[in-house]
Amino acid sequence: MTAVLIRRGNLARLAVGPVALAVGLGALVIAQGPGRSTTYAGHSSLTATLTVAAGLALVGAGLVTALDRPAARIGDLAVLAGLVWFASVWVGWDNGPSLMRSLAMLAAGFTFPLLLHLALAYPSGRLRGAVPRALVSVVYLEAAIATLGRALFRDPFFDPNCWANCTDNLFLVRSLPPLARGIEVADRWFTAAAAAALVTVLGWRLLRDSRPARRALLPVALPAILLAVTVIAHAIALQRMPLEDPSDPIFGTIFLIGCVGVLLLAAGLAWAAVRTRVQRRAVARIATSLGQAPPPGSLQAALAQAVGDPELQITYWLPDAEQFVDATGRLVADPAAAPGRAVTTLLRDGRRIAVVSHTAALPDLERELGAAVRLALENERLQAQALAQLDQLRASRIRIVEAGDSERRRLERDLHDGAQQQLLALSYDLRLARTQAGTDGDAATGTLLAEAIGQAQAALGELRDLAHGIYPAVLAEAGLTPALASLADAAPLPVEIHDAAEGRCPPVVETCAYLLVAEALDDAAGRDASHAIVSVVQDARRLVVTVQDDGTDRTATMVQLADRVGAQDGQLAVEPTRLRAELPCG
Amino acid sequence: MRVVVADDTMLIREGIVRLLRDAGIEVVAEAEDAQGLLHQVRLTGPDVALVDIRMPPTHTDEGLVAAQAIRAQHPQVGVLVLSQYVEPSYALRLIQEQPERIGYLLKERVFDIATVVDALRRIVDGETVIDPTIVSRLVGRRRRQDPLAALSVRERQVLELIAEGMSNRAIAARLYVTERTVEAHTTQIFQKLRLPESPDQHRRVLAVLAFLRS
Repeated sequence: MTAVLIRRGNLARLAVGPVALAVGLGALVIAQGPGRSTTYAGHSSLTATLTVAAGLALVGAGLVTALDRPAARIGDLAVLAGLVWFASVWVGWDNGPSLMRSLAMLAAGFTFPLLLHLALAYPSGRLRGAVPRALVSVVYLEAAIATLGRALFRDPFFDPNCWANCTDNLFLVRSLPPLARGIEVADRWFTAAAAAALVTVLGWRLLRDSRPARRALLPVALPAILLAVTVIAHAIALQRMPLEDPSDPIFGTIFLIGCVGVLLLAAGLAWAAVRTRVQRRAVARIATSLGQAPPPGSLQAALAQAVGDPELQITYWLPDAEQFVDATGRLVADPAAAPGRAVTTLLRDGRRIAVVSHTAALPDLERELGAAVRLALENERLQAQALAQLDQLRASRIRIVEAGDSERRRLERDLHDGAQQQLLALSYDLRLARTQAGTDGDAATGTLLAEAIGQAQAALGELRDLAHGIYPAVLAEAGLTPALASLADAAPLPVEIHDAAEGRCPPVVETCAYLLVAEALDDAAGRDASHAIVSVVQDARRLVVTVQDDGTDRTATMVQLADRVGAQDGQLAVEPTRLRAELPCG
Repeated sequence: MRVVVADDTMLIREGIVRLLRDAGIEVVAEAEDAQGLLHQVRLTGPDVALVDIRMPPTHTDEGLVAAQAIRAQHPQVGVLVLSQYVEPSYALRLIQEQPERIGYLLKERVFDIATVVDALRRIVDGETVIDPTIVSRLVGRRRRQDPLAALSVRERQVLELIAEGMSNRAIAARLYVTERTVEAHTTQIFQKLRLPESPDQHRRVLAVLAFLRS
């Protein structure tokens, strides 16, 4: 349905071409003949050429833009402004058809409102922000009121300052020269004020927008500012010299600059249309340029390059987790529009797959992305989803290891604070009893109690070693270096330690390194090693622990160690007589 | 001898206070945490503080920290740390940071009152006390080329007693030999191990312990 409408609209637009040509050539004929003294165009061949060229260029650029992006009204606005541009010439058709001159007089009043609307709606076709919306509405309203007033009450014949058309107004109801004069002055100053507002809004946008948005805005904003300045200058000149005269150098110059402004505006529009086309091709080529297995994030980089917006960001939607992630699966904030930035939600088969945050100067991204790019997006989304799940898995693994470690720690404390205190209390009672037995002269009981005290002491010793085996308190309190030294003190084989670790690592990393060395030493002893060398090297980001021995070749796979190291994103190399682990630290 | 006892377990604390009093030692104050201990030491100015290594709030090494604070603020007050851990690192940390009048005994000896009283007396006399279990752990450490193999059995005994912090006189008494004999053994040991001999009691202990750990 929409496609049909667009096609029909395009046919109408194509028909505008010949019409505009006719209107333009008609203006040229008028300027060369009957309007020689009543139009700016008639003043010289330069003004004639510029006038016609400016109007036709605007129509042409408008058609290119409209055919390229029919949904945006920018092109239509430009076509309309281009057609209306010629009205000022047609007004000056001396002795021409009265209806034509009267209509042209009315139409001429809408030239500036249309150009203002165009400049403010560029590039998306939508007016963003309350101030531009209000400005455009007020300017159209004022132009309509002034035109109506002019049509009903301005009798050109009684206008002392008339120059282009001093005879014809078919719509005149009542001749009210003072009112007509008031309307002219009010309209002039209102238009100048609107032009100043336009300069302010555009200037503010240029200052505030991101770089890519500014780059896209400049080709239209700068000519529009130039045009607005000529409008203001024209109002001031009229105030000083109420009778407009094309042969006056000031008025002539202002008119010429205005023509140049319109030409530049048309050129800017045409350039933007061409650029959009180039970008579209680049976007369409993305899918083929990505290759077989693009690394995460390459789609974003390719799209950013294709549309010339380095800040472009693609975020993927994970429907199960109800979260946005980037291409690497990292959680990101919900994408939101910001000044100069827009967000486009991309769907595939009706499902949201990604949200692109891009410069506001890039309208219709949704439409530009072809099926191939969408497929690539869906692929990258699935990859991001897998990466996000991997991240969660990794986090859960490390949590399990940490939970195990803190459980060991708790157990160690419980043994000290519970069982050990009980045994100490028992040995205290036994000693009191033995002293009593000694006092009573009961040698046999005394001997028994002495034995019991010995057993209690032995139990305390075993309990102490058990607790140390479960978790060495020195590791948590003093760090890896003293813990490894104490491991070497009690090791079943000579151990040489080359420890270059300076700072502390997270507890889970230190525990991992400690258990690795402890297990490696046990394993080395089991393989009849005569000695082992432990080395610990630490740099800014990682801890590298190596245990080398001279025993027979290892047969165990050390799978538990590998799990523990892997849980921390570390790497374990298991060689016949050497274990090497790289652990992230910091 | 005036002693302050610090242990967060009431049962243990009362037991040790009673045994110390029975042994004729004056317990001037008790404390259940490091802060209370420091307060009592300041208040009563004891000869020695008997301190458990694990105390509130974290039950880790508060005792060690308190011991160092006492030695730094009250150099005349000795400290005997009772520890659950056979950790030469802790013992070394103590005597390296605060020389003299310091001891590290295993917690399990707390009711072996003769050992505790002996340790307290040695600390008051200016000696250092290292638990024999720690020393034997260090002496028993496996070495590739064991320099200790060059020592005779008696020299090894003397070395261990030196490491425990004993003076030549105390070693002589323990081994039933003359002090001259102990001096001769000591010279031999230091020569064989290529350690610089020092007349300073404390430095001697440190040198031997550091050697054993290396």
